[in-house]
Order: sequence, then C-alpha cells, then structure tokens
Amino acid sequence: MTERIANNLVDPAFDRDSCGFGLIANLDDLPSHWVIQTAIAALTRLTHRGAVDADGKTGDGCGLLIKFPETFLRAIGSELGFTLNERFAAGTVFLSQDVKVAAAAREAIAAAVAGTGLEVLGWRAVPINPDACGARALATLPRIEQLFVNAPDGMPRGRFNRRLFLARRRAEKEITDNATYIASLSSVTISYKGMVMPAALTQFYPDLKDPRMESSVCVFHQRFSTNTLPEWRLAQPFRFLAHNGEINTIQGNRNWAVARAKNFVSDKLDDISDLDPIISLTGSDSSSLDNMLEVLRAGGMDVIQAMRILMPPAWQTVDNIDPDVRAFYEFYDCQQEPWDGPAGIVLTDGRYAACCLDRNGLRPARYVITNDRHLTVASEVGVYDYDEKDVVSKGRLGPGEMLAVDLVNGVLLDTDDIHDILKTRAPYKKWLKKGVRYLDSLLVDTRMAAEPMEADELASFQKMFNLSREEINEVIAVLAKAEMEAVGSMGDDTPMAVLSGKIRSPFDYFRQQFAQVTNPPIDSLRERIVMSLQTNIGGESNLFDIGPRHAEQVIINSPVLSQAKLRQLLSPEMFADSHTFIHLNVDENRSLPEALDDICAAAEQGVRDGKLLVMLSDRYIERGKLPVHALLATGAVHHHLVRKGLRCDANIIVETGVARDSHHFACLIGYGATAVYPYLVYQSLFDVARRGNVSKQRELGRSYRRGIRKGLFKVMSKMGISSISSYRGAQLFEIVGLHDEIVERCFSGTTSRIQGAGFDDLLGDQRTLAAAAWDPREQISQGGLYRYVHGGEYHCYNPDVISTLQAAVRSGDYDRYMEYARLVNERPVATLRDLMKLKPAGKPIPLDEVESIEDILPRFDSAGMSLGALSPEAHEALAIAMNRMGGRSNSGEGGEDPSRYGTERMSKIKQVASGRFGVTAEYLVSAEVIQIKIAQGAKPGEGGQLPGHKVNEMIAKLRYAKPGVGLISPPPHHDIYSIEDLAQLIFDLKQVNPQALVSVKLVAEPGVGTIAAGVVKAYADLITISGYDGGTGASPLSSVKYAGSPWELGLSETHQVLRSQDMRHRVRLQTDGGLKTGLDVVKAAMLGAESFGFGTGPMVALGCKYLRICHLNNCATGVATQNNVLRSEYFIGLPEMVINFFRFIAEEVRHILAELGVQRLEDLIGRVDLLEPQRGVTERQSRLDLSRILSADGLQKDAPQFCTDLRNAPFDKGELAEQMVAATLPAIEAKTGGRFEFDVRNFNRSIGARLAGEIARRHGNRGMRDAPLDIVLRGTAGQSFGAWNIDGLNLTLTGDANDYVGKGMVGGSIVVRPPDDAGYIARETAIIGNTCLYGATGGQLFAAGRAGERFGVRNSGANAVVEGAGDHCCEYMTDGVIVVLGSTGVNFGAGMTGGFAYVLDLERDFVDRYNHELIDIHRITPESMEAHLHHLRSLIVAHVEATGSQWADTILEDYRTFLPKFWVVKPKAAELGSLIESLRRAA
Amino acid sequence: MAKHPLQFLEVPRRDPDKESVEDRVRHFGEIYGSYDGASAAAQAGRCLDCGNPYCEWQCPVHNYIPNWLKLIEEGRLFEAAELSHQTNSLPEICGRVCPQDRLCEGACTLHDANGAVTIGSIEKYITDEAVKLGWRPDMSHVVDTGKTVGIVGAGPAGLAAADVLARNGIRSVVYDAYPEIGGLLTYGIPPFKLEKQVVRHRRELLEGMGVRFVLNTRIGTDKSFDELLDEYDAVFLGMGTYSSVSGGFAGEDLPGVCEALPYLIGNVYRELGHDETDVPYIDLAGANVVVLGGGDTGMDCNRTAIRQGAASVTCAYRRDEANMPGSRREVANSREEGVRFMFNWQPLEILGDENGVTGVRLIETRLGSAGPDGRRRPEPVPDTEEILPADAVVIAFGFRPSPPGWFAGAGVETLDSGKVRVAALGKFPFQTTNPKIFAGGDMVRGSDLVVTAVHEGREAAKGIARFLGV
Repeated sequence: MTERIANNLVDPAFDRDSCGFGLIANLDDLPSHWVIQTAIAALTRLTHRGAVDADGKTGDGCGLLIKFPETFLRAIGSELGFTLNERFAAGTVFLSQDVKVAAAAREAIAAAVAGTGLEVLGWRAVPINPDACGARALATLPRIEQLFVNAPDGMPRGRFNRRLFLARRRAEKEITDNATYIASLSSVTISYKGMVMPAALTQFYPDLKDPRMESSVCVFHQRFSTNTLPEWRLAQPFRFLAHNGEINTIQGNRNWAVARAKNFVSDKLDDISDLDPIISLTGSDSSSLDNMLEVLRAGGMDVIQAMRILMPPAWQTVDNIDPDVRAFYEFYDCQQEPWDGPAGIVLTDGRYAACCLDRNGLRPARYVITNDRHLTVASEVGVYDYDEKDVVSKGRLGPGEMLAVDLVNGVLLDTDDIHDILKTRAPYKKWLKKGVRYLDSLLVDTRMAAEPMEADELASFQKMFNLSREEINEVIAVLAKAEMEAVGSMGDDTPMAVLSGKIRSPFDYFRQQFAQVTNPPIDSLRERIVMSLQTNIGGESNLFDIGPRHAEQVIINSPVLSQAKLRQLLSPEMFADSHTFIHLNVDENRSLPEALDDICAAAEQGVRDGKLLVMLSDRYIERGKLPVHALLATGAVHHHLVRKGLRCDANIIVETGVARDSHHFACLIGYGATAVYPYLVYQSLFDVARRGNVSKQRELGRSYRRGIRKGLFKVMSKMGISSISSYRGAQLFEIVGLHDEIVERCFSGTTSRIQGAGFDDLLGDQRTLAAAAWDPREQISQGGLYRYVHGGEYHCYNPDVISTLQAAVRSGDYDRYMEYARLVNERPVATLRDLMKLKPAGKPIPLDEVESIEDILPRFDSAGMSLGALSPEAHEALAIAMNRMGGRSNSGEGGEDPSRYGTERMSKIKQVASGRFGVTAEYLVSAEVIQIKIAQGAKPGEGGQLPGHKVNEMIAKLRYAKPGVGLISPPPHHDIYSIEDLAQLIFDLKQVNPQALVSVKLVAEPGVGTIAAGVVKAYADLITISGYDGGTGASPLSSVKYAGSPWELGLSETHQVLRSQDMRHRVRLQTDGGLKTGLDVVKAAMLGAESFGFGTGPMVALGCKYLRICHLNNCATGVATQNNVLRSEYFIGLPEMVINFFRFIAEEVRHILAELGVQRLEDLIGRVDLLEPQRGVTERQSRLDLSRILSADGLQKDAPQFCTDLRNAPFDKGELAEQMVAATLPAIEAKTGGRFEFDVRNFNRSIGARLAGEIARRHGNRGMRDAPLDIVLRGTAGQSFGAWNIDGLNLTLTGDANDYVGKGMVGGSIVVRPPDDAGYIARETAIIGNTCLYGATGGQLFAAGRAGERFGVRNSGANAVVEGAGDHCCEYMTDGVIVVLGSTGVNFGAGMTGGFAYVLDLERDFVDRYNHELIDIHRITPESMEAHLHHLRSLIVAHVEATGSQWADTILEDYRTFLPKFWVVKPKAAELGSLIESLRRAA
Repeated sequence: MAKHPLQFLEVPRRDPDKESVEDRVRHFGEIYGSYDGASAAAQAGRCLDCGNPYCEWQCPVHNYIPNWLKLIEEGRLFEAAELSHQTNSLPEICGRVCPQDRLCEGACTLHDANGAVTIGSIEKYITDEAVKLGWRPDMSHVVDTGKTVGIVGAGPAGLAAADVLARNGIRSVVYDAYPEIGGLLTYGIPPFKLEKQVVRHRRELLEGMGVRFVLNTRIGTDKSFDELLDEYDAVFLGMGTYSSVSGGFAGEDLPGVCEALPYLIGNVYRELGHDETDVPYIDLAGANVVVLGGGDTGMDCNRTAIRQGAASVTCAYRRDEANMPGSRREVANSREEGVRFMFNWQPLEILGDENGVTGVRLIETRLGSAGPDGRRRPEPVPDTEEILPADAVVIAFGFRPSPPGWFAGAGVETLDSGKVRVAALGKFPFQTTNPKIFAGGDMVRGSDLVVTAVHEGREAAKGIARFLGV
C-alpha cells in the first residue's frame, strides 16, 4: 500500500475496488489446459466489469490463481536444472527493477525459506511480454520471477505449506522495499496476475499458452479500482481467494484480529508470534480477508469451515434453521465477529474450490455445470460458449450460500452439504446449552429507575452532562413515546462542534460513515432479517482448540441495557465477582491524559486479575470531581487493552449519563463498548413521566430502548453492516475537529484531518458544565441545537437571515441583498470556509471588465427536490426561474408531468433515485442531465419514505402509484452495490439517452474523492459533492446531525484526487450544501467546483421560512406541502424571486472577482492558493489546521483545474445496440414495426435500452404500441436486458440473461425462455439474474425459469410470470402483478404497499418466507374468488404462449389440483375483492 | 406527534371573548375575558413549532414561546408558568400590554396564514391560571447570599430586577413614590388594559419571594440617596421617564390642554380611590377631545376619554396608519369604541384663549424619505390647513427622562438627552458611571415598551449579581 505522500486529502487508504470474478473447476480434479484457456476466455468476457484506462490497454489488473500445475512446473524446473523432490513448491514474486534491490529481496526470501528448514532451489525469470502493457502499467512493471522450493523428503504437504506460509510472512516483514511482493508461495496453488487487460493476459504471460500448463482449478478475477495508479500488487486473486465487493466491517475485523492474536495458538503453527500483525492492516480489505483465511487454515481449520465462520449466513433471525447448524454458528460467533460483505468470494486451496456469498447476497454469482463435469462460477452467466444441451444444471448462489468442490472426493457440496459436515464436528449444541446464559427481558423494568433522583439532583446531572430541555423533549421523550427517532427537515444549519461557540458534546465531533457507490447500505427496516444486535459477554479462547469453555457466555439481545439487566449482569450468579468498577469522575485537578492513565491502569489491572467485565461509570458525580467523558474513556481503555494484548479477555460496560441518542450508543460501541447503561435517560424519562400526563409511564424505558435499537440498526445499516459484533470496535466515523493528541490516544486509526479541540478544551468545557451543575440557580439549558433559540447555538438560516433575504428578493434591490449577504458573510464562524479569507490574485479591476451575470448564471443549478416534497407551484416556479435564467432545475425523485416536457416548466436535470419513481424512457430522453442520486446531505446512506397522506392523485400518477399508499425509497439503489454496478447504470442511461450528460450525486465523507475517481472511471460526466449541511428533505434527527462531512473537505479531496489521477478534465464538479452568497460561490470555486447547487436558498426566495416542518405536510408558506388550501392561499413565490436571488449572487460574485482582479470565475477554479486560513476566534478554532484542504502538494501544477472534455464516453461502444438501431430505425421512424433477429453474448449490455430511447424520443412511452418491433434474440444477454423497455418494443430471448432484466420497464414485453434442447430442468434453473423489473412501471415479463434476488423490486406496474424467485421478491412493490410458479426465497413482499402476487407453494413453507409486516396471504377458493381464478389462469396461459414453458403447461393441465396451492399475496391495506377491479381500472 | 398538523387551519385564531363596546365603555375594567383550559390548549395547539421561532426572535425578552405553548397544549400549566418566568418577570402583564401584533404575533409564521397564534392571551392565561391554582415561583433552591440591593422605582424595570435578584439569593427593597407598586403599570396604563388587581397579585408573588416594598417614599425627598447607597451593597435605578415631550407649537399651555400622563394618572387615582390632592382628576365628560399622538399612550388617552363620557374623541397623527407606533389592536379597540382617526395630519397650533381650547389647526402630510431612525418622515402638503374644533386637547407625544438632582452627587452621569449612561459592553451590563449603581428601563433607553423595561431590569440584575460576586 502506498503511503500518503503529500500534505493533502489524497489518501490511498480510501481506495476501493470491485470486479468481475469466477472460477472453473473439474469436479474430478482432472487437470487440463482447457481449464486455463477457458478461464482466460471467461475473464475476457467480464472485461466490462473492470476499468480501462484511456489507452485501452491498461486495466486495473486481472489474474488467475491456478491449482498447482505440477506437470508444467516440474518440466520447467527440470529445464532450469533444479532437482525437484517428490514434493516441491513454486512461488510467483514481483521484484524491483532495481537490480540491487531485487537481489536483496531474493536473498531475504531465500533466507526466510531456508530458515524454516526448506531447500531453496533457485529462481526463474518468468517470461513476459511487456508489449501487452499500456504505458501506465509499463511504468511500474516489476521484475517477475518464480522461486522453486523443495520439501524435505517425507514432509507432509500440510506442514510444508505451513512452513512456506511462515517463511513468506517472515520475508514480508524483513523486506522493506515497496516493490517486492510475493504473489504466491505454495505447493498447492500458483498465481499469474498483472496490470493488463484480460484479453492480453496470455500475451503477457506466455506460460499460460503453454499446453503443458494444465490444472483442474482456476480462479480468475478482473479488477475495477477507484484509483488509476497501476499497482501490480493489488491485482487479484490473492493466495487463496478473489473477492468481488467490499468488506464493510474491515476496520473492526482488523482491530479485532490484532486484539485476538494471542488466542491463535496451534501446535501446527510453530510460532505465530512473529506474525505481528497477523493480518495486514493496510492494503485492500480483500487481502486482509485472505490473510485471515490463511491464518485459520494454517492453524488447522479447513477452508470451508474457515469461510463459513468468517462470513456466516444470517443465522440469528432465520426461524427454520437446523438447530445444530445454528449452534455451530452461535458457538463461533462467541469467538469471531463476521466479516460482512457485500462479498462474493471464489477461492481454492487445492483441496477445495469454492464460492460463497455473504449474508446479504449483494453480489451476483451464477454457476453452470456441464456434462463434462466442469463447474463454472462467475459474476455473470454465459462467460464462455458452452452448448446449452451440454448443461446439466445452472443456478445462482443466494445470500449466505456456499458451493464447494471437494477435489479429493470428486463431489460438489452445496450449502446444506457443507452444513451437514460442519455441524457434526463438535457437540456445539451441548456445549452451548451448558455454557450460555441468556439475559432475557422477562423482568420488565417497570420503574425505569429504581431509585429516582430528586429534582435537584437530577438537574445537577442534567447540567453536568449538558442535557438540555430541547434534547429531553425532542430526542429522548420522542424515542420513549414513539419508539423511533424524531424526524426533522431542512438539514443542519449549525456549526460543526469544533467551530461552535457553545459547549458541544464530544460525540458531536464524530461523523458517521456511510456506504455510497462502492458498497451499499442495507434497509434495516425491510431487510431486518439480516440484522442482529445480539451481544455476547464473556472471554474469548483459542479458536484452534475448541471446547465447552468457549461457550461460557452471557448473551443479551441488545447492547442497550435496562436497569434490570444491568442488575442481573452484576448479580452473584453472573459477574458480581468478576467485574472491575472504574469511576470516571476524577479529581478536578487531574488533566485528562492523567485521568485516562488512571482509568486505563485500573482497567488493565482488573483484566490481569481475571475480571471479565470492565465497568466504566460516571454515575457518581461529586463536587471537586469532573467526569471524564465516557467516549474518551471507552476509546482509551479499548486501545490500551488492545495494545496490552488483553482486549479479548474482557468486555467494556459503560454506565453513563452522556449516552442519549442512537449516535451516542453507536460511538461508544464503535469504540469498543460491549453494552451501555444510559441511566440519566431513564432518570430524565422518569421525571418527564412524573411531571406530565404520560400514561404509559412503565413502558417508557422499554420504548426508548426499542427506539435506540432501531437507531443502531440504522447507523450500522448505513455502512452496510448487519451485525453489532462487527460494528463493535470498527470505528466507522470521521472525526472533524479533534486534535491528534486525542485521536491518537483514544480513537487511534480514525480518520481525522483538520485537528481542533485538545484535551484542555474538552476539560474546560466540563469545568464550565460542572460549575453550572453545582449552582442551583442555573437552569438546565433550553438547548438550541435543533432549532433556533435565542442565546443558543448559531443557526445559519436564523430568522434575521431569512427575513432579510426574503425582503431582498421581493424588492429586487441589490442593496437589500447586500444586507443579507453581510449578515451571512460576516456571521460568527459557522463553517470551515468562514475560516478562509480571500487573497487577491492581482490588482482590482473595474467591474465592467468582469464577465457578465449571464456568463455566471449557467453555473447554477437547483438541488434535487421532488414534487411531493415541494408543492407543484413551488416546483414549477423553480423550474421556470432556472430555465429563464439559463441554469438548470432538478426534478428530484418522483417523476415529472409529461405536459411539462419541452416547456419552460421542465426540469432539465432529471433525477434517478433509489425508488426509481416515475423514471421511464420518455422521462429520461427529456433530460439534458440525468442525475443519479447516490446519497443526500440530510441523510446519506438512508432511504426515504413519502407517507401515504402526501400521496395525492397527482403525485400518485407521476409516481405510478395509488393515492394514499406510502412510497418507500430504499437506502441503496438495488442495482448499485459496487462501482462496476454504477458503471452499468450509467451505461444504461447513456444507452437510453446518448445525448444526456450523466451526473452522480455524492455526499462528502472521507474517501469521497476516491469514490469520485471511480465514478469518473464509470463514465459519469458530472459529479456533485454535497455537504452535510445540505438537504431539504425529511430525515431522522440523528441523521441530520451526525452524518456527512462539510463539503469543503469533500470537494477539496475530490478535486485533489481527480487532479492527482489525471482525471479532472474528464468531469464537471459541482458542490452544494448551504451555499448562500457570492462569497460562498467564490470559495467553492477555489476549492475546485465549477458548478454550484442550491437547495434551501431558492426555497427561501420562494417564501419558505425554514420552519422545518416539511415532513408534516402543513407548510404554512405553501412551499413544501400538497395541501390545497396552503398551496392556493399561502404560497406567494414567483419565479422572479428566484431569479433575483441568483442574479444577486452572480452580481456579488462579479464584485468579488473585480476586487480580486480576476475576469472570469473559471480562472478561480481550484485556486486554493488564493485562500488563506484565518486564525479562529475560540481556542479550539485556532487549533484547526486547514492546510490539507488548501493544499496543492504533490499535484502537477499544469494538471487541469476543471473539465475540458465535452463528455466522458464509455469504453464499451455498445456495438450490437448500434447495429440494432441501424436495422430498426426506419421502422421506428415510419412507425411500422417488424421482426428483427440478433445473437447476444453476456458482454452485450443494456440490450433494448438504445431502441427504447429512440422510440421514446419520437413517439413517447406509448406511441409505438400499435406497431411494435419484435426483437428476437439468441444467446446470453448481458446485464440490464430490456432496461427502460417501452410500448412498441417486444424482446424475446432464447437463452438466459443476467442481472437487471426489465429495469425501469414501462411497456412492451420481455420474454426469456430456455432453448428447446436444454439439458436441464428449466423451472429449477436460474434464467434471469438479480434485481429484475427494478422500478418497472408497466409492460410484461415472462421468464421460463427462476429469477434471482429481489425480483420485482419497487415494481409499480409491470406484470410478470417466473417459475421461482430468490429472496426479497416484490420488495417495495407498489403496483403490478407478479406470478411465481415455484418456490421463493425469504422476506417476500417486504415494504410492499401495492399491487399483488400469486405464489405457488408446493413445499407449504411460504408462510415462513414472507414478510408479515405489510402483506397478508389468501388461498384462492373457487367459490369466492372466481375473478382471481380466471385472472391467474390467463396469466399462466400467456406465459405458456410466450415461453412454451412445460411446467406452466403442466399446471394448466391440472389447474384445479394446483389452484389450492397458490397464495394471493396482497398488501394488508388493500381489499381482497378490489384487486382485480383496480387492475381493470388501471387498464 | 399526537398533534394535528393542520390545527392552525381548522381551528381559527380566536382571542378570548371581548366585551361588547356598549358595555365596556361604561366602566374601566378589562375588556378581554380569559381562556378556559380547553380553549387555551386549542389555541396553543395552532403553533406550528417552527424550526425558526420568529416569535421568540422578535420578543425582547426572548420568551420560550413555542415551548410553553406546547406545555399548555399538553395541559402542563405549572411547568408552563415556571418556564414563562424563566425569561420574563411579569408575563401576565406583558401578555396584556405588549403590542403583540408588532412583536411575537406579528412575527408568527401564521400571521400571514390564517392568523397568528394568540400568544399574548395565552401568556396571560398561564400565570393568571397557575396562580389561581396555587402555583408560586419555586424558591426552594435559593440560598440567601446576605447581599442586599436597593431599588428605586417599582415600575417594570425595578420589579424585574427585584425578581431576578431574589432568585439569585439577593434581598432587595424597592422604593417608590406612589402608594402602590407598578409605576406606569399601575398609574399610566388604564385599567381597561391592565386591571390593578393583576399588579397587586404580582406584588404578592414578589413579596412571597422576599422582596420588600417601601412605598409613598420619594428618594431624594423622603429618604436621601446617600442613605440608600450606604444601606445597600448595590443600587438599581428604574425610575422611568415622566417628562412629557411637547409639540413645540403655540397653545400648548392653554387651559383645556393636558399632558397624557397627568391625565391618565389622575384617572387611575380616582379609580383606585387614592387621595387626589397632588394628582387631580381631569374630567373630559361631555367634551370634544382631540388627542395628538399615535402611540399606545395616545390610544390609552382616547379610550379613557371615551369612558369618561367625552362627546367626541378625535386622534390626529402625522404619519399614516401603517406607520403608527402604537399597537394595531389598540387602534382597532379605539376605533370600535368611537374614536375618530385623522391620519397624515400634523398639528400646527392649538387655538383658544384663557377660557379654554377652541380647536386645533392641522396640516395634511405625506410621507417623505426615511429619517435616521429608518422611519419615513412626514412632510406637510402646502395649502391643506384645516381647523379641527375642540374643547380639550391631550398631548401624547412621548416622554423624556427626568433625572433628579442627586445624580450628580452620586456620580451618575447622563447623556445630553437626560438618559442615564450605562456600560454598553462593559463587564457588568447596565452599570452606571458609579460602579455600585445600576440603571435600566426607560430612564436608560428612553420611553419604550413595558417588556423592554423588564428585559433591562433583568439584565441589570444579572449584572448586579455578578458585580456582587454571587
């Protein structure tokens, strides 16, 4: 891993990668050259899943991991004169081109190998052909050599390989040069990889062409990295595995692996102690996982067990799991937290060849078994040209599934087979039964606080811990009453904690990280099934020497403790004698570092004395003592114990007054706490109940905990993490504004980039609080963090600002605007940019030499705000204003009335968000810019919900939903789980509308620059970086407050990364988030933006008074409501007001440019040299270090500062699609239709979208209905087959298809059927991939086979018939009819609010497989449901006609027998009798 | 949550019942009734609970308005009373006499949409009702510091200071020349706006908090200021402004012309049954009265005259209605009660002779450019003079401070305007040039609203507490 070299925000630690992957194995372990050849061919057909450099030759790396090709290597070895023993090994090593460095490395490796008692035979220069490399790859091309090693006679293979493992790890520690990299060193596998395109792999490595190169297993991988610096070592596969996806939990996993090192003791591993750290702490997540697997394997565990332990399925929440299997997972869960994906893994250790998916199954893995006994698994189906009639079976791996070839026994093991092997290896269930104790909640904690505090005492605590009345009422009480977090609107307009003049909680310095693009967040509500808060308390033991003591654990269902549970824990039967109680209240004269020393020492002593619990408590405050903040203490103790190697021997329990909202708990747990007891919350709730008329007093505590648990799920799922044990210690935060002295001491390893408050600042805060706490005259604070309160926290949109702005835009008077601008520009420091002062570039110039207002206005866009959030009046006024002034308005999510297309009321930017509401071909072709909203500032990593009461007739029509039915936008885009998926969506959009620019909206967080680089490589034309403070939407308060970073950091990082990677000229960069004045615009330009987004500003111009009640639909200004009275009587906005706003800003920009001596805004882009950091007002502000933001270090001076390319065209030219357009265009233009035939391969992507766009452009969504094109295809279709399909386009494919079939379909039909001569049973075989019909709004799909995960997700109108489906079928569906003629996966119909489904339940287990929250199921009885009986039959008949399905035919033959086995699945809210009726109405 | 988001549309703004005009002009009692619990809750529930509480922002003491509205909606009266007193020492009085339409209610988001929340009436309700039910300020935590402060003037500034000092464990003794506390609250504001019983209740509350009142005592006359300075650790001056601003035109000293304050005070004296020797009653029954001035005091004079039985009352003001400084509510009440308004008319001269006033000569005005105070200045329109017949004229142009002679000896400096000079951004707010003496209210800022006087009294008391090291 490269180190950060310059003092800037570019940090290789943020690099992410993703890919296409696969393996081919002969089930009987028969080696052949064919396996190698075919693997390479398959890899080549996954080229589109990787990234390609502009030269067309440099990729991000690809490679093979081959089961030891002994024949070949023995021959080569002999040729070189080596005397090879019966058992020998070879390793591939990258060496420096520097002869001396290479020689030293060779020597070190040889010495390490010899040191383990093995015989080094010598080195072979691997033949390579550098012509295969692009220029960039060539620049870093290593010397590639192979090392041959003999095993002493009689040494068993296992021991031999362990020795090699040790030798390699020791050599790696020894060698410090950056070039040397041991790609593999083993007697069972060898790797060939490099920075070339798959097609050039054999050219680069002539070895691979050698017919003697034979193997039975080949794992292959094609990488898509977010960076462009060719790093040969980062190519995959690693020593055992290749990985597609990302390990979200990597930070925690690495920390725990280090903490746990001493527990890895095995007689087989001679000495693991010199492997410190046992896994790599830098480098890619995949390589760390590979290391971990290697350690477990070296310790004696086989790979299938090791992988299952590291990446378990969602066993906690699945009801019908085999109890013995459950026991296996539960047993190991006490010792090892999961490595959560999204991950698809292919691996081989020579003994097994296997593929597995993590519990969420978010990566595709399709397999094919042919009658020559070869298994192929890959990201896509159809990666080589097997003959369908030779296919024995085809399928896909589901979430948490594993498929393995036992190469010794020549058998294929599926998930159940593997479970059967694993569960019997030890009496897990018995051990657990004996060892595990559960803390259950039989004891409802009725009193909440057994010893309620007196009012005075309570007030002292509340003041001591800075608990305001606002927080009690708006946060705690809401949690306790509603069991969920309060919702707010309009984002966060307060200063970051470090900038604030008020005392802020140390928690406020922490920003939650969230998943965007490179990994997906999870929907913790609808996909609850994968989530777990189960918390184990107890010690950990050696994983290689298991026994009953491993199961001696106390298990609780949540880390949020009630008083009763805490008492149980501390009871004599539990830990009364086995805990050490540490007071966090320490003498007020101790400095914080001293206090932490005391606390850590006490904790260490406790653990050394064998105490299993370390209890940190601030419960006993007293005069003369100050509480050390529990987060500081927890982090410090956690890291101290890790450093001392004691961490896994104890659990940290925190009893504290500072934990109140879910973020607080997340922080404490994220820095190591096992469980938290929030006593002050209970006391305060008790008080609330005591004062007020709260009827459910006894349940407040329980409800509060439920609310927090939901919040914790939300925080975890935002990062795509399912299990609290993986979240614990994972430190998934960015620290904004703490000094390194604190970060290093307490939060080591957390990203923190601008310094800030030190220990003394925090201690000073606590002193002030303590003084008030003991002063009875001081009232508890009123608050002011969430909304403006006089004397409270500064709010950027305070009443003065709003009032002056509205007066200005209504009057059109620039002087009045300047009153507003002065209020903003001279406010107390509230944002990072307020600490940056402009420096002139030259002498001031006359204003008339500066570019005009009209030149500047096109740089302004309005931010995406949906119709639904805004009233139609406000939405249209905004569009008119932006169009008239030459900017662009953004439709937001939720479609747009087609009557607006082509008029001045049209939004030029069309948003595509995760709900895909209203996204059709016609909508997309009407756009100038299509924006993919990955995240939004108010709640990055979260989905949204439009409550039913806001869905009126108009909204429902535009969103293809029913009035009154709530609509859900999922947290992730279900077609973007990684960067290559985003590339695919961009490709889809460019296919349907080749003229539009595609924009991707991201939210600032550490690493966003790296993600942006990946987005550029995915061929986006524009990128928006939003700050935390943006966001007009409704959002849970803790999301508003604690997620996302300032755009100053995100924008600057992005600009720096793009420049450093020579990509800045390929993409336009926009920023948004609280931009208010011309000064903001100028500063944003200097930090790297060339375009500027505004959300709140234009809203205020239209009359919004920043009431923060948007989510209630009662906006009294008529801006953010659908209420007719409010819209018609109280909305006063006019487009002119918005135009005034933007013209004023442009005018202010002009004045600033004149002062700075610059003619054009363009000349300021990226000019960080013109920004000068200002010393802040407060102590902590003045400790900030903004140099990394304002740095141009390490960047080429002449690297472009802004976009110069017109567009960022994809490498894939979509040749087949172009042929199809050429063939059909006359028929489209003449509206004559016709039949056309083509062959397809898996690399022909988005087939159909290109035609749909051409049709939509000419005839709209419905215009070709009567003269359809019949497109007849043969083969395997690539991803997004039939995307955005519309009326007039009927696709029939004989073969199979990959993911995203019928994405966004609005009309027409898609038929997928197997070939007539197929050798497999169609209804048991996967025929289409994951996430089909995502966001479809109409049309029909018939597929004669099984569909993957999330079939029909967010479907709002398509009708479909398939013969089986994976998990989460019909998720978030709002309309349409889905027929599944076979089994489904779990969690059917989660979040389904409309439409209905028929499911054939032959196994009679559907009841366990559907999500009971919103839907119910009914039998079709001939007596009462005549209509359904006929309707279902008509759909099956249509299916038979379209596909010729034998299975459907069988059902029809005996319809009366099958009928009772069908369920009608419908939303609970819908009337059974009206389902069909509503279909007729819709038609 | 439980709250209905559209309550503000469905429940219209409703003030407490107002007595009919014919009844109310027959007496001097308050004209507004009170809410009952349900109607207070319903009206409070109209609050949108804005992210930007414009009401609180506009309120000079920054009352936590949305917060106590919510408590009232939830029926948590005592908590509301407690919270209301955190920012305001005289909430039930401000609830009655504040020009809410220019402050909280004028800023209320709903002001532009279906009517502002009736903040003033609810504020009044909170304390009235809570006190009725036995609520008293919670003094249980207060520890006596042994410090004492003398307060000169029992008007809103002095009372507010006494309140805050008491809550800080500082005993205070309030001196006032009048027989009852309240200053202008009692004697300047007519009882139809503020019944004197309300002030008496407040006195009971304050006395319950340990504040002592010494009345009928004029400092400088009945007790020397030096004596005061010696007796107390600090002194607060809250003596208000009592010198009338004159119009500077001829005829102001004619018989039948009176100044607003003596007129109003005389009336209250009669109502309270005080000895009228020093403060004579001015009876305008049967007279055709012209009131000059468009402030709240002018309105008070208008309506007092009506109740005294004046034959007619005409109020002349030199700007237009929109630019009147007085509360729109009081203008409306005046108008309802029969007052005739003449906007854009400026008096030039009062006509008459030793027998009395006969009329007022006025000239029409129009609004010109804005003056230094930001308000547009009236400019006379030539050739538009008219004579308005009158039997009596009340001049209500405002008041200036009347610094007593003993200021100089005590080292209390004043500005040219007569206002007391206090530390603007000094260590202790409202400290005068004599460190031991603090001052606040109208005598510092010039005549202004009750609520600003309360604000200054409170801030000064905090300054005193810090000065005394409490």
